[in-house]
Amino acid sequence: MTTALIGQPVSRVDGRQKVTGRATYAAEFEVPGLAHGAIVRSTIAHGRIASINSVAAERAAGVVAVLTHRNAPRLAYRPHKGAPDPDVGERLHMLQDDQVNHQGQPIALVIAETLEQANHAATLVRVSYTSETGTTDIERIEPVLPTQKNDQGQVRPPETRRGDPEGALAAAEVKVDYTYVIPRENHNPVEMHATIAAWDGDRLTLWDKTQWVHNVADEIAAVFGIPAENVRVVSPFVGGAFGSGLRTWPHVTLAALGARVARRPVKVMLSRREMYYGVGYRPHTVQRVALGASRDGRLAALLHDGYQETSTYEEFSEALLNASRFLHSCPNVYTRHRIARMNVHTPTYMRAPGEASGIFALESAIDELAVALGVDPVELRLRNEPEQDEFKRLPFSSRSTRECYRVAAERFGWSRRTAASRSMRDGRWLIGWGMATATYPMNYAPASAMARLLPDGTAEVRSASSDMGPGTWTSMTQVASDILGLPIERVKFTLGDTRLPRAPVHGGSMTMASVGSAVQAACRKAREDALTRGGANDVTEAMRRLGQPVEASVDVQPGDASQRFSMHAFGAVFAEVAVDPDLGETRVRRIVGAYGAGRIVNPKTARSQCIGGMIGGIGMALMEHSVVDGRNGRVPNANFAEYAVPVHADAPSLMDVIFVEEDDPHVNPLGVKGVGEIAIVGVAPAIANAIFHATGKRIRELPITPDKLL
Amino acid sequence: MSDTIAFTLNDRPVEATGISPAMTLLDWLRGPARLTGTKEGCAEGDCGACTVVFERLSSSGARICEPVNACLVMMGQVHGCAVRTVEGLRGRDGAPHPVQIALAEGDGTQCGYCTPGIVMSMYAFVAGGEPPEPTLLHDALAGNLCRCTGYRPIVDAMARVAGHAADAAPPPAAGSVTGNAVLMHGATRFDVPATMAGLLALRRDHPDAWLLAGGTDLGLLVSHDRQIPARVVHVARVPELQALVLEHGRLRIGAAVTYARLLPFLEGPLAPFGAMVRRLGSRQIRALGTIGGNIGTASPIGDTLPVLLALDASVRLRSAARGARLVGIDDFFTGYRKTVLAPDEIIEAVDFEVPLHGDIFQVDKVSKRRDQDISTVLGAYLLRVEGGIVRTVRLAFGGMAATPARALRVETALLGQAWTEATIERAAAMLGEDFQPLDDWRGSAAFRLTVAGNLLRRLYMRASRPDLVVEIDQL
Repeated sequence: MTTALIGQPVSRVDGRQKVTGRATYAAEFEVPGLAHGAIVRSTIAHGRIASINSVAAERAAGVVAVLTHRNAPRLAYRPHKGAPDPDVGERLHMLQDDQVNHQGQPIALVIAETLEQANHAATLVRVSYTSETGTTDIERIEPVLPTQKNDQGQVRPPETRRGDPEGALAAAEVKVDYTYVIPRENHNPVEMHATIAAWDGDRLTLWDKTQWVHNVADEIAAVFGIPAENVRVVSPFVGGAFGSGLRTWPHVTLAALGARVARRPVKVMLSRREMYYGVGYRPHTVQRVALGASRDGRLAALLHDGYQETSTYEEFSEALLNASRFLHSCPNVYTRHRIARMNVHTPTYMRAPGEASGIFALESAIDELAVALGVDPVELRLRNEPEQDEFKRLPFSSRSTRECYRVAAERFGWSRRTAASRSMRDGRWLIGWGMATATYPMNYAPASAMARLLPDGTAEVRSASSDMGPGTWTSMTQVASDILGLPIERVKFTLGDTRLPRAPVHGGSMTMASVGSAVQAACRKAREDALTRGGANDVTEAMRRLGQPVEASVDVQPGDASQRFSMHAFGAVFAEVAVDPDLGETRVRRIVGAYGAGRIVNPKTARSQCIGGMIGGIGMALMEHSVVDGRNGRVPNANFAEYAVPVHADAPSLMDVIFVEEDDPHVNPLGVKGVGEIAIVGVAPAIANAIFHATGKRIRELPITPDKLL
Repeated sequence: MSDTIAFTLNDRPVEATGISPAMTLLDWLRGPARLTGTKEGCAEGDCGACTVVFERLSSSGARICEPVNACLVMMGQVHGCAVRTVEGLRGRDGAPHPVQIALAEGDGTQCGYCTPGIVMSMYAFVAGGEPPEPTLLHDALAGNLCRCTGYRPIVDAMARVAGHAADAAPPPAAGSVTGNAVLMHGATRFDVPATMAGLLALRRDHPDAWLLAGGTDLGLLVSHDRQIPARVVHVARVPELQALVLEHGRLRIGAAVTYARLLPFLEGPLAPFGAMVRRLGSRQIRALGTIGGNIGTASPIGDTLPVLLALDASVRLRSAARGARLVGIDDFFTGYRKTVLAPDEIIEAVDFEVPLHGDIFQVDKVSKRRDQDISTVLGAYLLRVEGGIVRTVRLAFGGMAATPARALRVETALLGQAWTEATIERAAAMLGEDFQPLDDWRGSAAFRLTVAGNLLRRLYMRASRPDLVVEIDQL
């Protein structure tokens, strides 16, 4: 007999492959006859290509072809809107015209026998431009309301209002009203994006780094005007992504285009520098938050007005303001979301898109209000704990904020905090304790899975999901083993291939809810079928008797729970910082996070994900910043030497993760909410609030570098 | 002359032919060798995903395992070496190595892409037999970036195996290359002279050739800028350039001595220099980078340069035509990345007097991130205080001007004065006369001046109340 596997700290089933270097990532597939592509990118942000001379490149050693807008085949570019694509606008069409829309836009593709030859020839392509006026400087742009209707004709309200927020703010006894800025950040997974494309007649195979194989197939089919079933996408291992693999970026099209012209397989791998121009990023945001409260600390008014950068050709919007509408109880709330259209490439979703940024502003402002009121920050949040989602006017399916505050505060030792800033020290170091609330919606999308039981008592379970690191291979294997009653080593889960049953995008913390529910249902169906037909009480015996495979395919989709409940994960993050008063250096010494995230399928991998989110939050708070040159859109620190991400020494000696017990029967059949995104939410404001407590300096612009503290 | 690069890879002799000696080891591994366990994450020596281990036996027969970034190593440098990649790592009976098991079971891998590099850093540490002290664990892992795990599980896994994991891999092949080697392929000629005379002749005849020591800076021209050099002269096998001698109170460091070899000498009175070198680069960088390379590159933010200025070092230059000459470090830098080095000269060594016990010698590096970040400001100071009076003083800063430079006015304000807080305050106020730093996104001019002043105050505090100054990693 096996014991229940869901909820067990199972080690990663693919761990051995990874530590031995045997896990194969997109750029590493061995494809016979492979040629290499190098992308030539624009060196202006806006204008037209006046001339492009590729003669020298074509004559260089080993060059197979040089594609520019003048000789590239015309592509179909049928309409395609995948879920991660912006609601309004159209993707850039590769090498189809002379228009330059952003710095670093692909304007030519050089294909050569070796990577060295392709890279060298790419430097020989001569381009001249006619520059047009435009801007890449967000400080000089007047933000505008986004287009009211999306491309599907649905109305998207950029403003929400309940009660009389302006009146209530004016009348409030205590108010704070400040603006918070977060610069552009890049996902910077350690693996760069790469695609290998190989045509066989009208059929195309893509080995790609992606969080959604089916969306890649759909988009590339639309671009080339071929049926989606002609495109196979293979992506078993993804070396981190955090959102950078949600959309299908231009290099994927270029690899396929290059392979078609060269009549042989072509690989295109971005360099680290190209990762700052060739895939999206977390947009620069500017947010005003105004809060009004009574002297006893009841929120009376909340105004949250934010804007973010986007490109001229697509309107990207993230859920910057959503949490402000329901996280704390407040009768008078106004939110407005605007966009700053610039000559940059389109931003995209990055870990906890919207929430990570919006909640930095909101939870910093709440902390400022707590200081203005002289009320403990945890106590202020407790006084404004809502009974229901006041925006949707729905009950929460479950909400464990009170419990999260309590257990995290207790573990952290919050009661020993002295309220005044600069009141805690360790030698000369200034010590600060801060906290913030976190939330992220429970997302659940249609998903399919197939379970196949074999007479030898093993099982194969399949779904075209992805695993960029959270442990999808492992958790799905656990769910299947648990339902089938088979030892985990007898269950083989497969993902990352369009030949498998369709899964939703591997993002938005929805994989466990969606794919997990599909795997659960498929395994249940196969098990029942096997037991009935085999006339036995356990799967192994039933399959032995049956002597032939049993297969079940299931599609699951969310019911109407979202019309009856507001469904979110919630958490509380507490941080301790030490700030050097002479040099402005900050060290995060401890972080404690408590999360109410439904059922935790694998506490080992879930804890790891949360710790990873915390370190991501430390990066966001203290170092990450893609510097954008306001004159031309160049990113001068487009490398790992100067775009600082946390290193080993930046990891606090104490990173504590607590999962609050939650039994939520409404969210989805597995009762899970997901932890990947919420893990980064609340970390940056908890650190910023701790830095204020340590130093008395309120830093409203991230990252909080030493120069801002001296 | 040969186009064959012969070395030991994962315990087996290999000969790489038909490739440029300037090709990086990383490109060769992932390309022709089809060993894709070694990952590419930046190709600039910043992320450690391509960490491999160079193995050799010391003169006493001890096994030395040095992690390096394969993206910074040209194939010509590999000639005659023994290299181990993740594919060549085994424990007893062919099972995974204990570090691999610890990492997998401890959930120190998520997406898995940085993992082989981390495995190799762990292996180098464990094979070196170092104890599992927290500072050493962090130091050994500092050169490996991970975006998923939050690092804690990796450090914990390493702590579990360090100190007692048996080293099951056989010792490296003893073979090493002696005599001059000339590697040639395509447009590139790669000379490995074995004698000073050979090196000086090459330098005289080919002044435009790249002089390659460790390659942590030069390697970027190949891996990042994709340049194809016509001629490379690899200086590391000239014995005089490997000299490392402490005698008569002076330390002489051959120009091709790596930071890794130098570190054991930076103890005692030189400990502040050693502490800075540990932050200047990861072990992967320290195994390649050389002090001669840092001097020759002459970057205004080259981290060892202010230290050498404070120590009043001499640079020994040598040419075939004129023999050796000594240049004081004060006269060595002539402008932004410019030095007095003549086209036919090489840097042979640098030497300086080791501070005496009782001298005040300190080095401070200020950067946005503690480890392996480019310095915003770097300060180095050497003072002798006798009878409460400042008798000698040299204060040098990086990141404050177009070259590393001394704060001469501040020095004047200190010299012959009483060593007191008031004197330091007066001197710190002079910084603005010595330096007009630039604004850039690493730090504003105002921040640089403020922080440099605070560093001077900290210098005094360290000397008078050492208990008050606690470094960030001692917290």
